[in-house]
Amino acid sequence: MSKSYFDETHCAFGHPKSTFMQWMLTIDHKRIGIMYAVVMFTFFFVAVAAALTMRFELFAPGQQFIDAHTFNQAFTLHGVVMVFLFIIPGIPAVFGNIVMPLMIGAKDVSFPRLNWFTFWLYIVGCLVALSSLFNFSIADGSLVFNFADTGWTFYAPYSLNTDTNVVTTLVAAFILGMASILTGLNFLVTIHRLRAPGMDFFKMPLFVWGIYATAWIQLLATPVVGITLVLALLEKYFGIGIFDPAKGGDPVLFQHLFWIYSHPAVYLMILPAFGIMSEIIPAFSRREIFGYRTIALSSAAIAGVGYLVWGHHLFTSGMSDIAKVMFSFLTFFVAIPTGIKFYDWIATMYKGKIVLDTPMLWALGTIITFAIGGLSGVTIAMVGSDIHLQDTYYTIAHFHYAMLGGVVFLFFAGIHYWFPLVFGKMYSEVQAKLAFYVLFIGFNFLWFPMFIAGYLGMPRRYFDYLPEFQIYHQISFWGAIIFVTGLIYMFYVLIQGMRNGKPTTPNPWNATTLEWHLPSSPPPLENHTKVPYVDFRPYEYHHGQPVVKFDENMKRID
Amino acid sequence: MSVEMNTSNVLEGFSSRAATFTADLDQALWINLVLSIVLFISVVAPMLYFAWKYRASNVKDENIENITHHTGLEITWTVVPTLMLAVFFWYGYTTMKTLRTMPDASDAITVKVEGSKWKWRYEYPANSNGYVHKLGGAFTKPVQDENGKIIEKGTMDKSALYVPVGTNVILEMTAPLGDVLHSFFVPAFRMKEDVVPGRLTKQWFKADKVGEFDVECAEYCGTDHSYMYSRIVVLPKAEYEAWFNSNADTPKGNYAKGGDAVLQRHGCKSCHAVTTEKLLIGPSLKTRTLTKEQVLDVINNGQNKLGYAMGAMPAGLAKGTDAQEIAAYVAGGLKGTQPASFAACSSCHGEDGKGQYGTAPSLVSYDATLLGHVLKHGKKGMIGTMPEFPYVSDEEVSAMAEYLNGTK
Repeated sequence: MSKSYFDETHCAFGHPKSTFMQWMLTIDHKRIGIMYAVVMFTFFFVAVAAALTMRFELFAPGQQFIDAHTFNQAFTLHGVVMVFLFIIPGIPAVFGNIVMPLMIGAKDVSFPRLNWFTFWLYIVGCLVALSSLFNFSIADGSLVFNFADTGWTFYAPYSLNTDTNVVTTLVAAFILGMASILTGLNFLVTIHRLRAPGMDFFKMPLFVWGIYATAWIQLLATPVVGITLVLALLEKYFGIGIFDPAKGGDPVLFQHLFWIYSHPAVYLMILPAFGIMSEIIPAFSRREIFGYRTIALSSAAIAGVGYLVWGHHLFTSGMSDIAKVMFSFLTFFVAIPTGIKFYDWIATMYKGKIVLDTPMLWALGTIITFAIGGLSGVTIAMVGSDIHLQDTYYTIAHFHYAMLGGVVFLFFAGIHYWFPLVFGKMYSEVQAKLAFYVLFIGFNFLWFPMFIAGYLGMPRRYFDYLPEFQIYHQISFWGAIIFVTGLIYMFYVLIQGMRNGKPTTPNPWNATTLEWHLPSSPPPLENHTKVPYVDFRPYEYHHGQPVVKFDENMKRID
Repeated sequence: MSVEMNTSNVLEGFSSRAATFTADLDQALWINLVLSIVLFISVVAPMLYFAWKYRASNVKDENIENITHHTGLEITWTVVPTLMLAVFFWYGYTTMKTLRTMPDASDAITVKVEGSKWKWRYEYPANSNGYVHKLGGAFTKPVQDENGKIIEKGTMDKSALYVPVGTNVILEMTAPLGDVLHSFFVPAFRMKEDVVPGRLTKQWFKADKVGEFDVECAEYCGTDHSYMYSRIVVLPKAEYEAWFNSNADTPKGNYAKGGDAVLQRHGCKSCHAVTTEKLLIGPSLKTRTLTKEQVLDVINNGQNKLGYAMGAMPAGLAKGTDAQEIAAYVAGGLKGTQPASFAACSSCHGEDGKGQYGTAPSLVSYDATLLGHVLKHGKKGMIGTMPEFPYVSDEEVSAMAEYLNGTK
């Protein structure tokens, strides 16, 4: 039995004997990716718990379990953890690390020690973000938390005035932004410098294209939010008066600066997810992908146009009407390449051989949920309708369909797809499919009623609501219960698979890309035995079988 | 024609199209919905069909075709959706133009709107007598019993923005410096715009239906964000004119008198507890240590003893006779009026419940629980016998306890 990356590793410094220290100091991209996944999904469940608390509170009008102030902290915690700790590092930190170097035939990322440092910077950011959770007191026999109550958007002047602990949250977002920049930098250099010989940009797998477009956003857009957060801190503690109207500042400026980053960040989340879709669809249709070049370039186009549309978050902020029209116009240009990708994926299924294994189920489910998420986004890209729907549950439903039903669902698809690669074992297909159906049903019950409630005028971030919205909140509640049950079940199935799953071969899905051509499963420490020569397209199939095969020394054998 | 005042906290009037531009906006939303469904089907229907038609058991490996391009199709699925998006943009643009093109000020009533934590207030132009109507105030939150059941619905009472039907109304909106963002959202009119401290933002509408329509704050603004309601009441023109040129508080009559009503109207209760000593945002007003002058000084000049911006009491939240009335009420220890149910008690325990110098025990330190227990079960004491009153209700007990507490 050959040694896998679980048995040996390179460390940032020293040669520690204990397994624990070997993991803490590891610079192996696969191990770092796994550690990101463990930490991120832990926080994911923290944020889910916060959301579930809110759903419980909203089950009936009036106050039930928590008071308004705690509710406001709960949605801030939910937003901050989901956005900054989970979904922004998200797919790049996990699969960008684990899979991207394998896909381009590299031994590791370009700067493995920087990668190790980035991971720990991320951990520091997480700890700072959550530190204020432990700053609670007990009054009248109940817990009083002192977490930020600003919402994850930190809008001025509220964030400047509140007495809750905004400073740690802002500093944490800054540190996490730094980690994100360094990840982006590392991936950019890796993709430019470490591609296998012969692999030009249009021979890269589409997931690598997704990571590449994302890395540019991480590198170029994140500094803007860093500056914004620093300005907010200076404003709050030194009163420099950038955002405070009493001193001649402008509160709306904060929203501009914030969304100049945070809108491209949305594409930073979705582009790698689209990349996963582009891997799964051809592999489970057993045929070459339709429109490779358009899919690759549309990622780049989305990343580019994505910088120019932040103003669509400000249609009711008091921004000038001319700016509203222009931002609305530009926003529609994001929809076009996104639509093209979808048609390309569907066309890939045409005259293929559709194998409905769990990853494919997740991918196809996401086509439904993300289509709803994307099209409902088009509604609020129309200025007139957004004036009505802005800051209502419609918007909430829209971005959860796009983020949860798009990014996170594809994240799950990726987990099921690359699970045998990472662990060399297989989960139970039957149980994993069952988990998918439970999650898919729960998801739609949870979020769809919110479109209607929002259209009827249910504003977001409301702790209490008018009685006629009760029915929508209650359907959502039961959806949430189904959804969380599905989540727990899915992770149970995966952990079972990790422990007791059947060992797999290096290429269980009959896929074509380089990460499935490793010598053993799970992969050895430094990946492929030799760097392959790539003179083929990434998804070449013939009669449903991968065209390219390698021998044990990575020489092509057909 | 007069409109019955609706005081329940039910979202009023969404389903009716209440402003002149609402129909346009709904049309845009419907067009968007129909085209979106077409686009959705164009993606999902072929997906489901292919997943079924080309299912693994139905396809032989040699029948798989690696089609990677089809210029005609690719052009179609680029151009057709782009045209649809152009339609969306156009409807978004035209509806925005309707919503955002302010009518001529000479052909409109311009009302100043001030949003602050957590109330909406309206100031009208001077009427023919030179009197300036100032309306609005905080929403009274619903009251819940200890099981969380709502026993009293929240209400706007008479606080509202009263406008005539079929008339342009321009809202000039702002928030005080030191306050935060709010958003004036009227679901029935499909309109919304943020209210920004230190800035003037504008909206307009022309209501084409008599009725009442709720206003919600749509931009997160803190603890009571979800209670920052108000209401637009659309009146027949004659009724509006009659009120506007009078000095009456509202077209529905004057505000309730008494300190408590004034506190409610000015939103004091959003930050200050009144019946308990609980510290909300600001200190409880249930204090008996301040003089009227001291209270007036705080109202007029504000105060910041808690040391952070959100804990500061802004100056000038109430002015004139209202300020006087609040000061008198707070300085007087918030004495309520004697509840009717106390009449029988007073024959022994005295009007102030202090026991008429030993005729009966003093009740001023009794809380509701103790009071309720003694009332329901009676009591035999040194002085005499307290009879049972088993039919007394919880509400009556709490009213009595509150009254007694105020006479301390």
